[in-house]
Formats: sequence, C-alpha cells, structure tokens
Amino acid sequence: MPKVEIKHLTKIFGKHQKAALKMVKENRSKDEILEKTGSTVGVYDINLEIETGEIFVIMGLSGSGKSTLIRLLNRLIEPTSGQIFIDGNEITHLNKRQMLEIRRKKMSMVFQNFGLFPHRTLLENTEYGLEVQGVPAEERTRRAEAALNNAKLLSFKDQYPSQLSGGMQQRVGLARALTNDPDVLLMDEAFSALDPLVRREMQDELLDLQANVQKTIIFITHDLNEALRLGDRIAIMKDGQLQQVATGEEILTNPANDYVRSFVEDVDRSRVLVAESIMVPGFTANVDTDGPNVALHRMSKEEVSGLVAITKQRKFLGYLTSDEVVKARKEQKSLRDVVEPMPTVTPDTLIADIMPIIYDAKSPVAVVDEDQRLKGIIIRGAVIEALAATEGDEHNDA
Amino acid sequence: MPNLMMTSKLPLEQWISDAVAWLTQNWAGFFNLIQQLGQGVMDGLTGFLIAIPMPLMIAGLTIIAIVTSPKKWGFPVLVLAGLGLVANQGLWNDLMNTTTLVVMASAVSLIVGIPLGIIMAKSVKTEAIVKPILDFMQTMPAFVYLIPAVAFFGIGVVPGVFASVIFALPPVVNFTNLGIQQVPVALVEAADSFGSTTWQKLFKLELPNAKNTIIAGIKQTIMLALSMVVTASMIGAPGLGRGVLSAVQHADVGSGFVNGIALVILAIIIDRFIQKLDTNPEQVQAVSHGNVRKWIVWGTIVVIALGGVVNGMMSQKATGKKVNIGYVQWDSEVASTNVLAEAMRQHGYNVTMTPLDNAVLWQSLANKQVDATLSAWLPNTHKQLYSKYKNDVSVLGPNLKGVRLGLVVPDYMDVNSISDLTNQANKTIVGIEPGAGIMAAAQKTIDAYPNLSGWQLQASSSGAMSTALDKAYKSKQPIVITGWSPHWMFSKYHLKYLEDPKGTMGTTENINTVVRKDLKKTSPDVYKVMKKFKWSKDDMEQTMLEIQNGKSPEAAAADWIKAHQKQVDQWFD
Repeated sequence: MPKVEIKHLTKIFGKHQKAALKMVKENRSKDEILEKTGSTVGVYDINLEIETGEIFVIMGLSGSGKSTLIRLLNRLIEPTSGQIFIDGNEITHLNKRQMLEIRRKKMSMVFQNFGLFPHRTLLENTEYGLEVQGVPAEERTRRAEAALNNAKLLSFKDQYPSQLSGGMQQRVGLARALTNDPDVLLMDEAFSALDPLVRREMQDELLDLQANVQKTIIFITHDLNEALRLGDRIAIMKDGQLQQVATGEEILTNPANDYVRSFVEDVDRSRVLVAESIMVPGFTANVDTDGPNVALHRMSKEEVSGLVAITKQRKFLGYLTSDEVVKARKEQKSLRDVVEPMPTVTPDTLIADIMPIIYDAKSPVAVVDEDQRLKGIIIRGAVIEALAATEGDEHNDA
Repeated sequence: MPNLMMTSKLPLEQWISDAVAWLTQNWAGFFNLIQQLGQGVMDGLTGFLIAIPMPLMIAGLTIIAIVTSPKKWGFPVLVLAGLGLVANQGLWNDLMNTTTLVVMASAVSLIVGIPLGIIMAKSVKTEAIVKPILDFMQTMPAFVYLIPAVAFFGIGVVPGVFASVIFALPPVVNFTNLGIQQVPVALVEAADSFGSTTWQKLFKLELPNAKNTIIAGIKQTIMLALSMVVTASMIGAPGLGRGVLSAVQHADVGSGFVNGIALVILAIIIDRFIQKLDTNPEQVQAVSHGNVRKWIVWGTIVVIALGGVVNGMMSQKATGKKVNIGYVQWDSEVASTNVLAEAMRQHGYNVTMTPLDNAVLWQSLANKQVDATLSAWLPNTHKQLYSKYKNDVSVLGPNLKGVRLGLVVPDYMDVNSISDLTNQANKTIVGIEPGAGIMAAAQKTIDAYPNLSGWQLQASSSGAMSTALDKAYKSKQPIVITGWSPHWMFSKYHLKYLEDPKGTMGTTENINTVVRKDLKKTSPDVYKVMKKFKWSKDDMEQTMLEIQNGKSPEAAAADWIKAHQKQVDQWFD
C-alpha cells in the first residue's frame, strides 16, 4: 500500500469554477481561462502514489501549481475535488479537529523562507509542534534538544532566529519538522533561499538523514540539479498538470513530451556551438595588487590549481599555475614574473574550433573580448560534453 | 434636478433626540447602575491615589524610572522634577483625579478594543461593518459625545469616561487589527501546518508578533483619553481639565499653561512607561540582572500601594453633610459659589463644587445630580432654561438683587442706544459661551432691532470677551460686548450700557438660588442655608476684583468672609 495516494486532485481558485473546469478539460491555457472566467487553475486532475521512505520530488516553473499541490496534501488549501489517502485512509473529508491530529502526528512541513517565529528562541521554535499537542514541558524540551543536537545547533538553542545565518535557520526549520516524528515530511522549496554552497551541504544532510530515518519526503523545487541529486522519483508539472513521473535517469533519456525535453535541457542547443555558451567564470589573480600568498590562498579556497592573471584594469595577461606561484613565493618574485601564456578564444568562437586548442593546452582556454578583457574560461569537460551532444543530435537526425 | 432647499427638511435632529430620549427613559436603570458602579470604582481609585503620600509616590516612580531605564538620566530626572513641580503648584489632587480618568478610560478602551480588533482581523465581515463606524467615531468632534453622555449618565467622571472611551477606542482597535493582519503569511502557514488551533495561533504567534503594533495603538488611545480630559471637564469631570477650561473661560494665560504643563508631564510619563513594555526579546536578553530589576520594580509598586492603604486607613474621612454646588465659570458665579462653599466648609459641611456649562447645570439640577446652584439669572436671562426645567427644580428666590444685562460699549464711543448702532465694530457683538442666557437675549435683540440686521453675534467665552475688550480699550477701537453687572470690568474700565428701548436685553433682574426638587426632604440643613444665602452687588464686586487682581478664589472668599463674619453667620442660624 502506498504511503500517500492522490486521486483526481483538483483545485480551482476564484468563482465560476464549473466554467473553468470545462475549459481545462478542453486543454485551454491557464491565461485564457483566467481571462474568460476570472478563475485560476491551481492544480488539475493529479494522480500520484508515493511509497514509504521515498524522496519524491515535484518540479516545475513558478506558477506550475507545485506549491499549491503540497499545501493541498495537508489541507492548508482545501481541494475543490479529488481524494487524498494517507496509509489508505482518506483525509479529504476529515473535520477540522481530525485534520489537526493528522497535521500534528503524520505530516510536518518545511518552508522556503524557514517560517521560524521571530519572537521565540530556537528551542521554543523547535518544540512548537509538541507544544500545541500539549506534550509536557520536560519531554518536549528533551525531544527538541535531541533534534537540535542532530542539526548541530544545540549550543545556539537560546538564540533568536534573526541572529543566525540562513543555513542555520533552515536546519532549525527541519529540526522543528522532525521533532514531531512525522511519517511524511513536506518540503516546499526548502533550500531555494540558501546560497549554492550551503544548499549542497543541506542536500547532503537531507540524504544522510533519509538514510537514517526513512521518512516519506515530498520535496518541491524548481532546480533540476537539486531534483536529480535528491529525488528517487521526479514529477514534472506545468500549468497545474503532471507531465511526467519517473526516475531522474528516465526523464533525461526518455522525456515524455516536448515540454519536459526543453525543461531538462540546461542549455539551448543552437547556442552550444559557440564558446560563450559553455564558458564558466574563471578565478582570477590581479598581478598589480595580489602577491603569491594571496594567489595560493585563493587556489586552496576555490579548490583549483591555477588562476587567470589579469591587470588592475581587468585586462587579460595569462595563466598562473600553482607550481610557479610556489616558486615565486620562495624566490621573492612578483606574480607578474611567473605568468605563463594561455590560449585565448573570442566569445563567438565555434566549439569545433576550440577542440584542437584545448587538446594541446595544459591550462583551460581563456575567453577574451576585443578589449582584451576576460569573459570566462573553458574547461576540457565542457567541450567534450557539448561535442558529444551535438554528435548525438546529428546521429538522431540521420 | 430638484432644489434640495425647496423640499422640506428631514427631521434628522428630531429623530436623534427621540432616539436618545427613548434610550434614556427605557434604559434608565441600566445607566444608573453603570453610573453608580463607575462612580464607586473611580472614587475608590482616586481616594486610594490621593491617600498615597505624595513624597512616597514621587520617590517610588523615580526609582522605577531609574530601574527601567538603566544608564539614562533624562527620564528619572523628568519624573522627579516634573511631579515635584506639579505638587509644588498645588495640582497634586487634580493630577490624581486626571490619572483616574485616563486610567479608567484607557482600561475600558483596551478591554473593549483589543478583542474587537482581534475579531476584526479574523473576520472580513466584521471588519467591513466596524471600520466605517470607527472612522465615524474618530472624525466626529469629541464635544458631540458629551451630549448623550450627560443624557445617559448625568455629570461627573462617568460620562467623562464614556465620552473618552468612544473617542479613544478607534486607534487600539485599528492597530490590533493591523498588527494581527501583518503577521507574515508564511508564519501563519507554519503555525497551521503544525496543527495549531485558532486560539493557539492567536496566543502563540499572532499576539506576540503584533505586540509592538498593539502597544503603539495603546499609546495613541491613552493620549486621546488624555486629550479628552479637558473636554470632559465641561461636564463635571474633575482634574486638571477643569483648570485648563477655567483658564480658557477667564483668559488666564498663566494658570492655563501651568495646568497644561502638568498634563504634558503626565502624558510624557505615561508614554515613556508604556514604551518600556515595547521590547524585543533580544534586547531583554542583553540586559543582565533582568530579574533583579523586575523585583525592584514590583517591590516599589507594592511599597507605594501599601503606603496608600495605610495612609487611607489612618486619615480621617472628610465628614459632615455632603453638598454639591454646581456653577458656571463666570466671574460673578465663581465669586458667589466660592464664598458660600468656604462658609459652609467652615461650618462643617463637606462641599463639592462642580463647574459646568449653563445648560448642563440646569439639566443636572433637574436630574438631582447637583444639589444647588447660586447662578440662576431670572426672569429673563435664563428664561429658556427655566421654562424647560421649571417643574423639576425649586427656585428659592434671589440671593443677589438688582443685576443688569445689556449691550456694553466703552464710553469713548458716541452711541448711547441700541437703535444708534449702524456699522460700528465690524457689525459684531462680542459675546460669551454660546449656552449662556445673555446670548439668547442678544440674539433676540439683533432680530428685534431693524438697524441691527446684518450684525453678527460672536460666541467665545467670558474670559475671551474681557480680553477682547481690554485689547480694544487700550487701542481705543470700537467694540460692542454682551455685558452684565455685577462685574469687575465696570471698575476697571469706563464703560456704559446702551439704552434698550425695546427691552429685549431684559430690565434689571436678580440672581436666584435654585435647588433640586427634593432637597428640602433629604437635606433640610443644606436647604436652609441655601434659602438664607444672600449678599449684595457691592459684596460680589469686591470679591470679583480681588480675584481679578490675582488672588485665588478661595483666598478672596476667605477674606470676604472674615470681613463679614456677622452676615455669614446669619446664613447658618
């Protein structure tokens, strides 16, 4: 038996719902329906089964109805029609009191902007779910402290949310959701407000956690990378309707329709053919102000073995390898003395032409504009992947 | 489009009067109950505040100010110096009376307002209904509330509180509503997602988050209640407002400012103490010894309260027969009422003097809320009021014979009769309070004399009128005023009455003593004194001049009594 089962779930906002439903069945677009009826289709005819212990990711652009869907699951938003089952019990017809019980015991939610109460300490935030259940103070404090301890935040328990970084706040949000020991964890773009590094960390933590606790997690995101990293299965939504539900691999290899295909392609193929489309920002050292120590520090920090040398006017000079910079430090030289030549291309150079250049070079290739300013760098892997994709396309067309 | 002026006028005034009259009659029991309960609570609170020894209270409040604002000297110094100044000016009891009024009006406003604000925030329908009512309440001039307040609760502190509540309620309701609605949706969702009931959401999330907004509303409400103190004193609410009002009526700049400054000091102190409640939790965390401070504050409050209780028990209650004399703050009545009150006090009576607007005074006599007044100018000046209430009051006869009313001009003007007036003094007659009898006479005069068509009767106050006269007199400008004697201005300036061939301003008349209908039955002694009180025009003008020259009314009255002991003793035989 699936943990969560959804049958024909539909939510229409506004008046004239019948007319709107009729138009949805005729496959009219969201905008057209809004214009004609003044109603918005939140989600339409969703059917899903989610298994115990699965991380189920729901993806879509903003306005695709993913946030509405997750709120329908714990009935923060009332469904227009359809059924939701948890452990085989329908919850769509429960009264207010029974629904409170479901929210307290079975489901917890984590929010994009953390949703922490600013007037409560971390501990008070974490134990909130137990507090509204009327759990005795000692027990709830014990459980909340255990959850905070798992999140490595126990020493901050008497601080207020505003005193913490975003990542810490989201850990509290997660700890608060876990303190209730729910079966189902609803996560609404939980990591979207964090910076990329912290985001990766949190994703790893979530995966670690899932390995330990085996919750059913319904995770919403608009980021394909996040979905591929976390999701056991991924559902892609557009205009309130499901497009495809499958594993990440299947979605990449077998997109169900054109929308999914274009959605999972990070880049537009026609633009892959020039340097600009595959370059990444390069890490630079300014030879007029930075010395060898700064350069080495930056390399270790950014986890690279070379930097692009530029002048104070941000003009491109060449390449600095770690070996040469270490030498410069020993011999008390400046960075300018150890700059090595580096192959350059312009932003509109074709990828096919970059291939031979990069094949011989020890360093990445610098992309430089007509003013000799650095736009980015190209690394070997990107070129190979781009070429493989274009070849595949040609192969398919043939 | 039909001309609106041509169609007959809607009897709107009649409807409102009828509605209020119906309420007054049918709910009399309820209103009386409220009046008695309210009066009891207020008297208790004021008595308690006054019983607290003044130095103890000032010291205590200063200590609390020091403890609650660490390392800042401004506020404690203000408390100490400000309250010291109020006490030094002899306004301590007035300050306590005002405090009671403000505390009660604020308390009622908050008890009604905060729940109403919560209901509004939770229900769109309620908001749609209540919001326009609140806007109406806030924009209606506060004076208007005094009228039904007197009709329902008579005079004194209860109608003052009633009017203040109506006036001061809107901010706290609006701010509470706003504060709760401003709690971020994400937080409300979070609270819902953990299965909070409506009450849990309210007490654990919404109210704590809206707290600072609500406190801002509370502050506004308290300030509005304070501003109503002056207005409410027109219907007998005691306190600093009376001082301000009387200063306005006598154009007495000094006393007005002193009372005003006392109000400002009270307002600042209340405002700052409320501000102390408006904290964010992180700041509290940063303050060490928070508990010690709390203990000191509570300890001080307990000591102050104990001082009040002990002192209240020890001090002798003022004994003697109670009498409440109502008067209007015209110079003549201030003189006579103070003299009689002082004399009665010396003979062991417990006298309350209640300054009121003239019309309210007659109404209060009819409603038996005031025992007596010495200021009924009959037969002409107060004719309208007399005919309205003659069945509900008893007129005991004249206490001063031979007063005169008329239009008065400085003697440098070359008019001698009302019929000579053409276009002097911008065709304006400078009058006094609009409710005064002389104003009705003056209006009648303007209507009766054809040469006065186009003349204006300008209402102000007796004080403002004498100020205007003084100004015109010094610059030899023409001015026409509504004048009466006995009055000190006749001894200060050279003035003359204009002849009144039509007799519309009245001939000479008398000032009468009027008492409530059943005074003879319930307090025969008081009745007897009222019946016997008499003095002459010269007596009155003597006293008036002393007051005008800067003596306090009490002192001037005491002086006159000392000089006329025999005459005074006759009133009490």
